[in-house]
Amino acid sequence: MAAGGKAEVASTRNDFDSIWSLYLWIGIGVAVLVFAAVGFALVRYRARPGRVPSRRAELNLLEGLVAALILAIVALLVFRTFRTEANEDDSSRADAVKVDVDAFQWGWKFTYPGKGVTVIGNSNHEPEFAVPEGRTISFALTSLDVIHAMWIPDQRFKKDAIPGRVNHFDMEFDEPGREQGLCSEFCGFRHSGMRFGVRVLSDRGYERWLATHR
Amino acid sequence: MAGDPPVAVAIDRGAGLERGFAWLAATDHKKTAAKIAVASLFFFGLSGLLALTMRAELAQPGLQFVSDHTYDELFTMHGSGMIYLFLTPAALGLGLYLVPLQVGASEIAAPRLALFGFWIYLFGGLTMYSGFLTNNGAGDDSWTATIPLSNSTGTPGVGMDLWVIGVALAVFGSLLIGITILLTILRHRAPGMTMLRMPVFTWTMLATVFMVVASFPVLVVAMGLLLAERHIGGIFTGSTGSIVYQHLFWFYGHPVVYVMFFPFVGAVGEVVATFSRKRFFGYRALVVSLLFFTALSMSVWGHHMFITGAVKNQFYSLTSQLLAVPAGIEYLDLIATMIGGAIVFRAPMLFALGFIVQFLLGGLTGIILASPPLDYHVNGSYFVVAHFHYTLLAGSFFGLLAGVHYWFPKATGAMLRERLAKASFWVLVAGTNLTFFPMFFLGYEGMPRRVANYEPGLGDLNLLSSIGAGVIAIGVLLVLANFVVSLRRRVPAGDNPWGAQTLEWWTTSPPPRDNFTSLPEITSYAPLLDRREAAEEEQERRAEVPV
Repeated sequence: MAAGGKAEVASTRNDFDSIWSLYLWIGIGVAVLVFAAVGFALVRYRARPGRVPSRRAELNLLEGLVAALILAIVALLVFRTFRTEANEDDSSRADAVKVDVDAFQWGWKFTYPGKGVTVIGNSNHEPEFAVPEGRTISFALTSLDVIHAMWIPDQRFKKDAIPGRVNHFDMEFDEPGREQGLCSEFCGFRHSGMRFGVRVLSDRGYERWLATHR
Repeated sequence: MAGDPPVAVAIDRGAGLERGFAWLAATDHKKTAAKIAVASLFFFGLSGLLALTMRAELAQPGLQFVSDHTYDELFTMHGSGMIYLFLTPAALGLGLYLVPLQVGASEIAAPRLALFGFWIYLFGGLTMYSGFLTNNGAGDDSWTATIPLSNSTGTPGVGMDLWVIGVALAVFGSLLIGITILLTILRHRAPGMTMLRMPVFTWTMLATVFMVVASFPVLVVAMGLLLAERHIGGIFTGSTGSIVYQHLFWFYGHPVVYVMFFPFVGAVGEVVATFSRKRFFGYRALVVSLLFFTALSMSVWGHHMFITGAVKNQFYSLTSQLLAVPAGIEYLDLIATMIGGAIVFRAPMLFALGFIVQFLLGGLTGIILASPPLDYHVNGSYFVVAHFHYTLLAGSFFGLLAGVHYWFPKATGAMLRERLAKASFWVLVAGTNLTFFPMFFLGYEGMPRRVANYEPGLGDLNLLSSIGAGVIAIGVLLVLANFVVSLRRRVPAGDNPWGAQTLEWWTTSPPPRDNFTSLPEITSYAPLLDRREAAEEEQERRAEVPV
């Protein structure tokens, strides 16, 4: 959990994208291979007159080779996962914008510590908080009642909000505009309405927004 | 029913009732398994109807048919019913029926314990479902009942209590049934049936019941603690209480996934070998991979908790992705069994192929979910819903149907209608993929699980999915119709209609009360194939000798 200081700040979305395609294409490759093998077996070895089934029932060299091959693929995947995961754990840059988030049944409270700004809303009135574009946003997330989860699909990231526990994580919003957030951990009656918006603004726009919400 | 007295021409009501009670109290493992089959089919039907109601509600955005609260009951009871009351008992019931027959035993070990397990499970299931009769409705806190939402403040009401008690009973009953299977394998094998001559299905059952005895007691205890938490309090408290509950739950909750998977790998293995006219390929490698899989399965539970920030994600990510190795060996063995064979496309083989092809999508997306940075996005979304339905429905359910179509003639003495079976297969394939493939995209796009309402833009994919659910229902009805038709107008099966390889096909269909009147020499995991091959060799040898 060393303090940040990397030349480039990897957003959660970049972290996700960097290994998603690797996993997806390896998965598709394996699927194609298996389907091809099954298809080959079904066509080539279907029963027909004169076809005598083979009596070979064991080939441990083949089993060993396949196990080693899969192990090698798994090693690559785990290595890439660990490196990406280390990136995401590496949080809390000194110049990060801090936002405290309290989840509750069925709404959200966003507080900017030291700025005197709080946004609150629930399933009847969806809250919207603002962040400056391109800067690290450091969230401190907890819950006031049951377990919720804060999910921003565009950021490819979510984290649990657990009562009595504060979870810290960073995000970076690269494009101005609005992103939709929602609760993704079932939390009771109005769970499906427990949503929020994130307004991504320029630095000046963000300062103006803070001023109007003080 | 071979041991029963001959039935009089006119059965009066009293005698019929007596026979019914005798059946309910019968300790014969085949009759206990039949009772499990009936009960689990009943709960499958109920839980399936709940799923159809959910898909009706989700066909379009907005709320049309049910309220938020009712929807919570629907998905809770659907998931709970399918896992606790259908697939787990069905998997164990298949083992209860087949394991004694496959290892050449005349009876299950501790038959009354198995029967007791069935009644406890049935009573638990009825208890869980009886919540619908209470004022606040049935349990509505999902199949995981996460703390603190499931405490008396978060989810008040008797329905939730009935859910907790029902789960504890159903899982306890399943545990007892699992214990009898374990004892049978360890203590009741026929002379010559060494561990390394046990059929593939029996090996998968052994691995299954290892997980059952190691993990099921933990859930029974967790449910007891949850009940105490609801009525006394002070158990899952503070900042760690909710995390402790999740550890207990998933320590059961992940192994149970393989309890609902291994037996069907075994069933599919038997089917593939039989209809490839070849013995199972890589038997010893499969045994090693099953044991490795079982050991690993007890150490992966934390991957359900990646986003809690309270577990060591790297550890669980490593163990979870390592599962690809034993799973890959199982796939290799299934495919290599077909290669070099003489494959016959009968209905059980089609369902087995459906399992092999469709489960793969569930397995491969599972590897994606085992990577925390990917899980951070798709966790709790419809991507996960798609993933586990590809494992449990497209996989395990098809594997179960492969087994049911394969062993139906053995258990009933009647063949199933082949064309109807094949029709139901293709309808189920179409319905399954139409329902669950769109969900991968829905989840990736940002649709969370367990919501009755969603963003308007996701309406088209949801409509496809809902249509698919209707197609699945038609497929299931076709399967059931086949059972009815085939039992009404019976086509006698004979002892071994498929030319199968294992001991259960040596005896009559259905088997007598004590299973066997004789046993062949047990020379390998495919004793009947050994005999056929020996006979062929004998014939060839004689043909060579000039008379």
